[in-house]
Formats: sequence, structure tokens, C-alpha cells
Amino acid sequence: MFIQVLSYGIMIGAIYGLVGSGLALMFGVMKYLNIAHGTFIMLGGYASYWLFTLWGLDPFKSIPLVLLIMFTMGIVVYKIVFSPLVKVFHVGERIQNSMLITFGLLLIIDNTVTWLWTSDVRSITTSYTGSTFRLYSVNLPYNSLIGFGLALLALLCLHLIINNTYYGKSIRATTQDWEGATLMGINVDYTYLISSGVTFALSGVAGIVIATSYSITPSGGLEWLLKAMIVLVLAGEGKTKGILAAGLFLGVVEAVGVSLVGSAYREVFGLLAFILVLLFRPQGLFTER
Amino acid sequence: MLEIKNIDVYYGDLQALWDVSVNIAKGEIVTLIGSNGAGKSTLLKTISGLLKPRKGSILFEEVELDKLPAYKTVELGIAMVPEGRKIFTEMSVHENLELGAFTREARKEKNKTAEWVYEIFPILKERTRQKAGTLSGGEQQMLAIGRGLMSLPKLLIIDEMSLGLAPVIVQEIAAILKKINKTKGTSIFLVEQNVQMVLALADRGYIIENGRIVREGKTDALLNSESVRNAYLGI
Ligand SMILES: Nc1ncnc2c1ncn2[C@@H]1O[C@H](COP(=O)(O)OP(=O)(O)O)[C@@H](O)[C@H]1O
Ligand SMILES: [Mg+2]
Repeated sequence: MFIQVLSYGIMIGAIYGLVGSGLALMFGVMKYLNIAHGTFIMLGGYASYWLFTLWGLDPFKSIPLVLLIMFTMGIVVYKIVFSPLVKVFHVGERIQNSMLITFGLLLIIDNTVTWLWTSDVRSITTSYTGSTFRLYSVNLPYNSLIGFGLALLALLCLHLIINNTYYGKSIRATTQDWEGATLMGINVDYTYLISSGVTFALSGVAGIVIATSYSITPSGGLEWLLKAMIVLVLAGEGKTKGILAAGLFLGVVEAVGVSLVGSAYREVFGLLAFILVLLFRPQGLFTER
Repeated sequence: MLEIKNIDVYYGDLQALWDVSVNIAKGEIVTLIGSNGAGKSTLLKTISGLLKPRKGSILFEEVELDKLPAYKTVELGIAMVPEGRKIFTEMSVHENLELGAFTREARKEKNKTAEWVYEIFPILKERTRQKAGTLSGGEQQMLAIGRGLMSLPKLLIIDEMSLGLAPVIVQEIAAILKKINKTKGTSIFLVEQNVQMVLALADRGYIIENGRIVREGKTDALLNSESVRNAYLGI
């Protein structure tokens, strides 16, 4: 029984990590706090949903297409909505302004999606939805297993890119000090642009996983934004590893809490952990400092 | 090689530089001396493109620097060791050096240049895997200079190198700079409040006060001038 609870916690925890990674990347590199992060995850889910419903494309086979759509969306949104904020150099002001702007974006997208596709709760139901894999006494739904693997894979890719490529170098340098990075010859504006694309691609993967294992609605993004923010605080502007650890921690805390007191209190445990960490370890649980 | 012609620079509506002109020839060591708030760092930020002049122009080997985005400055051959050093404290010493060789040309020579930098500053070699934030002030300054050298610059600019360092270490670094200038022909622009150190090193100097260049000349001449001695040497 406990193993079953733990496995649910771990599987959703990896998704929390994935959801948090996009928010953390944009916040770290650009100092934009993207309130519409969850909403873009929903858009990724809708992309996967419509490709499946209209064209019968399997949600896991259409991943490259969804990634491409979301990456492009990230570039376009950066060019139109985010780039004017680059001229705000003060970090605090940038965070505040980006929150206002992305909140506006959230309202626009939320309403547009509702108008286009109604506020119905949707999820992708494939032929293998509902089938489970039994490992000793533990039941593991196939969808969740694939989602778990995808989340881990996406985080691994992010980790490798950040630590082993010149783009990764520019991300890390820009995150620490954009002026210093510029003096090294790094095109900070271009780094922002690509990071926006990568953030949206990560949202795309999260959207696919959520649409197959859970469900999507036009306003469903807020719930995931909350998880992403908790992960961001737990991880403490950390590395990809810290973000995964924070996600897993949140997932397990929630799962154990729910199994003890009931699912009505799911959000409470996450928020409790969030507040405790802010009180006693404000630099984050998984930072080296 | 670097020709700054009559530039005015502002922070928003606040003017910080008035009609500033500075020239640096190939192979020269030139210094800019001024007290706190005189506008030294502002001039350097303008050279590296982080600020743009509202009037005047900056030419580097015939290229109009002030028309280019800031990140292109390095590609042209100008390395900046900025005020406060701006090393990447969360990265290792080696990663910092590698970032110095970010431009396309410098990347190709990365390993060779790093070897050379480690030869010049052996202490960095000992610290190669260490987080840059854990280095002492002197070591951080060496790292910042080494990182600048990684881009294979034609002109190396250093903002207040001696700030917060023990005189022995300043002298050690000064000797190394002199040697780099001799052997590689790298031009060096030293910006300082600490006059003693630069006047021994530089061929020529400029004095900046309240955003204006008030004097320029050979370092010996500057050293012998009454006003400079009074204002900056306290003799
Ligand atoms: N970011 C800034 N915004 C507004 N004014 C500034 C800024 N940085 C410097 N200044 C002003 O410009 C003048 C020159 O400063 P600076 O170039 O840093 O002097 P120095 O490097 O010679 O000590 C000072 O009066 C300073 O207050
Ligand atoms: Mg200064």
C-alpha cells in the first residue's frame, strides 16, 4: 500500500519537476515570472489533443510536432510580448512587470480558448488508456509510466543542453550576470529568445503528459502554475537536478498526505511544505548554499 | 587603434561625460586617472557598448563601435575587465576562462590560450576546479584578467585593477601586464584611482574630472605636474 502511494507520488513528482523547469528557466535567465506558464502548458495539451482527435495522431508520436509548435509560439510570444521588457534592467521591476503582462496574457488566452473550444474538461483517451502494468503488488498505469519517462527524459535533455553546449553556457552566464555575459561576447537578447522557445517546448511536453494522464481545461493552467511556483521555491533557483528533486519531494509529500487525510487536502500539503521551506530555508531545499 | 571622439554620455537625462576624447595606439599602455565618480567606468561601459554616446563617435580599427550591439565588441578584439570584475562566482575557474573564449575565433584556440593563461597565473591552475566565488580578491582579479585574455584581445581594458588588493599583488599583476604588452603587443588601457601603480606602467595618461578630460600627456609629464601631484599623489 505504502509503495503504491510512493509510486504515485514519484510519478506525479516528475511531472511537477517538468512543469517547474520551464518556469525556472525563464525566471532564471530572463527574470520573467510567467504567470501564464500553466496556460501555455494547457495550449501544449490542446495541440496534442486536437492532433489526436482530428488526425488520429498518437499523443506520444506527435511529440516532435507539438514541440515545434510550442517552440515557435515561444519565439513569437517573445518577439511580440516579452522583448519590450528587456529594456527594464532593474530585476525587481522586471519581475513585477512580467507578472502583470503575463497575467494579461493568461486572461486573453484563457478566454480565447474557452470561446474556441468551450470550457469542457478534455483528456486524450487512447486504446491503452486505463491499462496498467503490475509490478509485484504495485499498479502502474501505462500512461503515467510513459509520462513519467517523458518528464525524466525532458529534464535530462535540459540538463545536458545547459551543461554541455555553447547555448547552455550562454544561459548560465546570462542567468548569473547579463552584463558580464555581454562582455564575454554573448548575445543576451538571442539567449532570451531561444530560452523562451525552450521554455515553451518544455511546456509542450508537460501539456502532452497532462492531457494523457490527467485532463486539460482552458483555466486548468493555474493549478499547474501553483505547482511550478512551489517547485521553484523548493528548488531555490537551482540546477535541473534540484528542480527534479523538488518536484519529486512535492509529489511524494502530497501523495502521502492524501493517503493519510484524504484527497480534499491535496493542495494543503504542498502549500504547507512551501510555507515551511520559506520560513526555515528561504534559499531553497535543494541548493548548495 | 581606438579613437574616442568628443563623446557625450547620459544616464537617462543625467549627463555623465562631456566631450570626451581618448586615443590609444597599437601596442601602447595608456591610463585614465580620476577620483571616485569622475566618469571612468561610464567611459568604459560606453566603449563596450553597454551605454551609447549621444554625441561623438568611437572607432576601433576603423569600425564604428557605437553603432554595434555590445556583444560584438569582443569579436572585434576588445576585452573588458569590468568594475567589480564580474566573474561568474557560481562557476569553476576553468569554466570562467572558457567563457572568456566565447567568440568564434577564440573558441578554436581555447585550449592553447588556457594553457598560456595558466602559465601566466599558476595559482589559477591550482584552483582550476574550484568555484570562482571562493577565490581571494587577488585571485579573482587574476581570473578576470585571464578571462579577458582568453578572447585573444588586441586591446585589454581594466577598470580599477588595484581596488582592494595588497600592493604586492598589484605589483605582481602589473609586471605580468607589462610582459604581455611586450611579448604579444597587446594594447592596455588601465583605469585607476591608484596613480602610483599606473604611472610606472603606462606610456601616456589622461586625467578625468567631473566627466571631462582635463589633462593628457606622457606619464612623466603628468607625474611632474603640480596639480596631479597634489590631487592624486597627496605629495
Ligand atoms: N547607473 C547609473 N545611473 C545613473 N547615474 C550613474 C550610474 N552609474 C554612474 N552614474 C553617475 O555617473 C557618474 C560617473 O560614475 P562612474 O563612471 O561610475 O565613475 P567612476 O568609475 O569614475 O568612479 C557619477 O556621478 C555617478 O553617480
Ligand atoms: Mg568606476
